[in-house]
Amino acid sequence: MKQKIGLNQKRNLFGWVFLAPAVILIVVMSFVPAINAFITSFKTGNGADLHFAGLTNYLRIFKDAVFIQSVKNCFFYLIIQVPVMLVLALILASMLNNRKLRFKGIMRTCIFLPCATSLVAYSIIFRSLFAADGFVNLVATKLHILSEPYNFLAHPTSAKIVIIIALVWRWTGYNMVFYLAGLQNIEYSVYEAAKIDGASPLQTFFKITVPLLKPTILITAIMSTNGTLQLFDESVNLTNGGPSNQSITMSHYIYNQAFQGVPKFGYTSAMSFVILFLVAILALVQMKVGDKRD
Amino acid sequence: MKKKLLSIILAATMAATVLAGCGSSDSGNASGSGSAAADSSNGGATADTSNAGGSGDNTLTVWTWDPNFNIYSIREAEKIYQKENPDFKLEIVETPWEDMQTNLGTILGSGNLSQLPDILLMQDFAFQKYAITYPDMFTDLTASGIDFSTFGAGKVAESTVNGKNLGVPFDAGTEVACYRKDLLKDAGYTIDDLTDIDWDRFIEIGKDVKAKTGYSLFSTQAGSADFIMQLVQSAGGEIWKADGTPNFVGNDILIKSLETYKELFDTGVMATANDWDSYIATFTSGKTLGTINGCWIIASVQADENQSGLWGLTNMPKLTGVSSATNYSNQGGSTWVVTSNCKNVELASDFFAKTFAGSNELYDTILPGAGAISCWTPAAGSSVYSEPIAFFDGQAIYAEIADFGAKVPGFERGVYFTEANTALANVATNIVNGADIDAELKAAEDTVNFDMGN
Repeated sequence: MKQKIGLNQKRNLFGWVFLAPAVILIVVMSFVPAINAFITSFKTGNGADLHFAGLTNYLRIFKDAVFIQSVKNCFFYLIIQVPVMLVLALILASMLNNRKLRFKGIMRTCIFLPCATSLVAYSIIFRSLFAADGFVNLVATKLHILSEPYNFLAHPTSAKIVIIIALVWRWTGYNMVFYLAGLQNIEYSVYEAAKIDGASPLQTFFKITVPLLKPTILITAIMSTNGTLQLFDESVNLTNGGPSNQSITMSHYIYNQAFQGVPKFGYTSAMSFVILFLVAILALVQMKVGDKRD
Repeated sequence: MKKKLLSIILAATMAATVLAGCGSSDSGNASGSGSAAADSSNGGATADTSNAGGSGDNTLTVWTWDPNFNIYSIREAEKIYQKENPDFKLEIVETPWEDMQTNLGTILGSGNLSQLPDILLMQDFAFQKYAITYPDMFTDLTASGIDFSTFGAGKVAESTVNGKNLGVPFDAGTEVACYRKDLLKDAGYTIDDLTDIDWDRFIEIGKDVKAKTGYSLFSTQAGSADFIMQLVQSAGGEIWKADGTPNFVGNDILIKSLETYKELFDTGVMATANDWDSYIATFTSGKTLGTINGCWIIASVQADENQSGLWGLTNMPKLTGVSSATNYSNQGGSTWVVTSNCKNVELASDFFAKTFAGSNELYDTILPGAGAISCWTPAAGSSVYSEPIAFFDGQAIYAEIADFGAKVPGFERGVYFTEANTALANVATNIVNGADIDAELKAAEDTVNFDMGN
């Protein structure tokens, strides 16, 4: 009896030894900074001279016109870009899942490739594509779609749309891979049966593919929402938040407040926790809506 | 067996990566002997590396950003100092200004000053911000033996806080206007037509040139208020009230500057670029026939050898109808800082005293080499200044810039300069799209007040 407990303990010990490196790294690299940031978010002051001030920072956020603007921008991106991207990814995935299609491997790679590019590099390329004397303007004027070059990045709406186009280009392939993986779990015989029963491709898509892919759609929706709310590189490198903060994202504004002007680490930490809160709520809503299993 | 071998290789790679990671972070901190003690997470193994890194007593670490300009200059200074001190060495880490801001924010915010280099270069517009927010990062150089009276008084004031000298002045950013003489000639104008004029006359010429040649006269970068600030400074204006709060609403010089900006934009005399690279491209590859900016822009103007001899240089136009208006302003400029982490302040002070604050030879090298306009008064007498520059068709541009520099009105940038600049950039963007100046200035003032916590 005594020896048996010893063996169990020994096993547990081994388990913990294997877990320990990862646990320690996660605690030290993620949890400790997060808790410190949470404490900092209750402090106020400039630079290193910080002192506790209760909820001042959190109350301040609601009076910050630029932060509110950045929240609006992020939700604009979210509401337009995430559905467009996920629908596109779903369509591409079900097209590429066709067994009769040739050169599938190459096409999959091509569609996935954008998400292997560096965030900064692709943002800069999109910036030069959409510059006043950039490629898009050149083509549009040569084809007489535009009478004179349009400075896309100097107008609020077009700047936001350019960011959305860039995001769709960068992330559609990434989500498509999730769907392709999900589609492998759907028996091909189901599709064959549907075909025999006379279902059109559209009916197959809505009645079979979408319902069976629901868990995958849910996880991609949560990940995309999360990613869009934390959008940073595109805002910094593509539009630099401009014109006049009309395309700035929350993370970009936080970065500006922390590192560009006089550093306000307490206030910026508080804003970061507001983002965390928003992401958590949205994920919760999506899980409640998307998960119909009892 | 194969798997075992593979896993051993994998483990070894990971271990090597971890060790290399620690090692490199320590070597970036060459001066920090004893820093390992402060950083407990590094563990015992890396303590040796850290001590080895800090062994060279005659080595100073420097953070600075431009290989063609300030890195080149301090390398030349190193060579001069090495003549007397052969074992002296600088370890220069190229750090773009944006990265420097992020690094400083992180290091100073965490309070772990041991990560600072011995010396770093700081933009003048940010100097007061760091001096007020993080006074601990500076070494007071007032009694270091560097003779600050040999520098221009206005420049020294930028790095002086409460009577303490916290930096060694490096370069000035005297405003210059450079134009392509060949293209001006096509439109029937010369450099003299653009010298000592006001913006009304400038716009008149600009419209004519644009109609005849299709070129704009100069360009600015969208999303930045640097040009507005240059206009305000040229007329001796202010953006802060005496109590330190923003002075935007009802500020006549600022309003006049914004109106001028809008008119320049509307008439197409001024082109705008979305980012820095396309800004440079506007005047190097033929969208505008000139540029108006701090004199360090000359390095970019001279980028294309084929344009040698085609350029001319003069002063900027002045604001129309403002009694205090001048044709002179300033953009940029930077100052060397000896940080509080410097373990050998004596060496650093002596290095500066014998180079940037005491060597005609250095300035005679870096002026033609990098176009670095000195703030060190004795260097202004150097014959190098009056030498003709072939790129500018034999014009002795450095003598002229030195002359402009002496006439630049003073300008209080303040601790919250970056916030004010961003807010005014938004004003500039909005008014060219048709917004009302007064309403925009009110909004900008509110934003800056908010950022200041008022």
